[in-house]
Amino acid sequence: MRSRLLLIPVASIVATVPAFAATYLTVEKAQALMFPGATFVQDFRMLDREQVRAIEKVSGVRVEGRTVKAWRASTGGWFLVDQVVGKHEFIPFALALDLDGAVKDVEILEYHEAYGGEVRLPAWRAQFLGKRHGATLRLTEDVKNISGATLSCRHVTDGVKRLLATYALVLAAVDR
Amino acid sequence: MRSSSLPSIVERARPLLGTYVAIRVSGVPESCAHGAIDAAFDQIALVHHRMSFHEAESDVSRLNENALRHAVQVHPRTYEVLRWAQQIAEASHGWFDVTVARHLVAWGVLPRPRSAYDPDPRASWRDIELRRDGAVRFHRPTWIDLGGIAKGYAVDRAVELLRASGVPQGCVNAGGDLRVFGPARERVRLRTPSRVRGVVPVVDVRNASVASSGRDLERQRARGPHVDPARERPAPSQLFACVVADRCVVADALTKIVLSRGRSSERVLRHYQATAYVATARQGWRTLGA
Repeated sequence: MRSRLLLIPVASIVATVPAFAATYLTVEKAQALMFPGATFVQDFRMLDREQVRAIEKVSGVRVEGRTVKAWRASTGGWFLVDQVVGKHEFIPFALALDLDGAVKDVEILEYHEAYGGEVRLPAWRAQFLGKRHGATLRLTEDVKNISGATLSCRHVTDGVKRLLATYALVLAAVDR
Repeated sequence: MRSSSLPSIVERARPLLGTYVAIRVSGVPESCAHGAIDAAFDQIALVHHRMSFHEAESDVSRLNENALRHAVQVHPRTYEVLRWAQQIAEASHGWFDVTVARHLVAWGVLPRPRSAYDPDPRASWRDIELRRDGAVRFHRPTWIDLGGIAKGYAVDRAVELLRASGVPQGCVNAGGDLRVFGPARERVRLRTPSRVRGVVPVVDVRNASVASSGRDLERQRARGPHVDPARERPAPSQLFACVVADRCVVADALTKIVLSRGRSSERVLRHYQATAYVATARQGWRTLGA
């Protein structure tokens, strides 16, 4: 038999259910993958109110946090880490920019998804159990995949747009 | 001591195909795993750029603009997806049809393409000619959208590449259209619409593809992206459909048929040796097909 459907009663699951959570890359790992052989100099910035307004105007995307987590790569280019919070998802991601400030790559670092905004952040990571026929199925550990109506990646796309504007308005001056 | 040359589980994700694509591999050293994953992501990015409805330079956009006037050469991958689409359209008597794009545009789900004409309501998949020289021609004014099938195809291509790189076990998941390969069984949690309550459904699979489509009442009112081409209106009744098949391209396309047709899709499911798990508003979960 190629497949079977298991229906796990919700009653046997702890109330705050993270729908899905996965950890993909650490910041260091992402740096090594996106800029092979490079070393990094941390260059975090704190945006002032005017910069926030300018970035929002250029990108058309709201700025939620004022810290820009940026690193300069020894091989040229920038490595940035940011996060987006959607209605159902919380997603830290890394953006690599080349010497000209163009997108080299985007890697998702972690992915957390909940239903209907039940919970945000730490509680999503909570362990929970589902039981069926006496067998224990730990959903977050044993179930590594989720399938459903396709979720749009618009939040990350917007996040990248916002960081590109941040680069142009705040970081690019350093390169010149 | 930990060494990067020992086989380990490596998983990465990127925003592609309008969604999040995750690739997980195991059974190869970490450095090989990353190389294989990079190559697989490149294939998915190729499908994304060639088959996007939104990108002006994609094959799909070029077809929607020019294929009525003259035959248009497309990338071999695009041609292959169109072949799958036509084959599934034929096997389902048009229940799957890539020319539903005109409805999606009319409802504002997709933007109007760059095109000099308005589509002919009589146009269907039968008006798309796939020529032997790799070119494509429309014989009636129509627009196509490969959104219902390209994700599944991209997953299949990525899996082919991972296998060719010597990866024995893994999973490629394009926003819920996924394929697992290798000897181990895997569990896939189904993200059901809010109306399907009371249970957490989990599908247990090995060497198979899983794709799902669902709809919420809110989205139904807002006319969600699923169209029943033969009935020319948003698909009714079934709340959620999950299809398990060998190939993800088939699973992806068949979820749309099952979601709109319910039990009538048995014959098509059997034709592709596929199984569907369907959640309905009144009768709960039902298994259809092989």
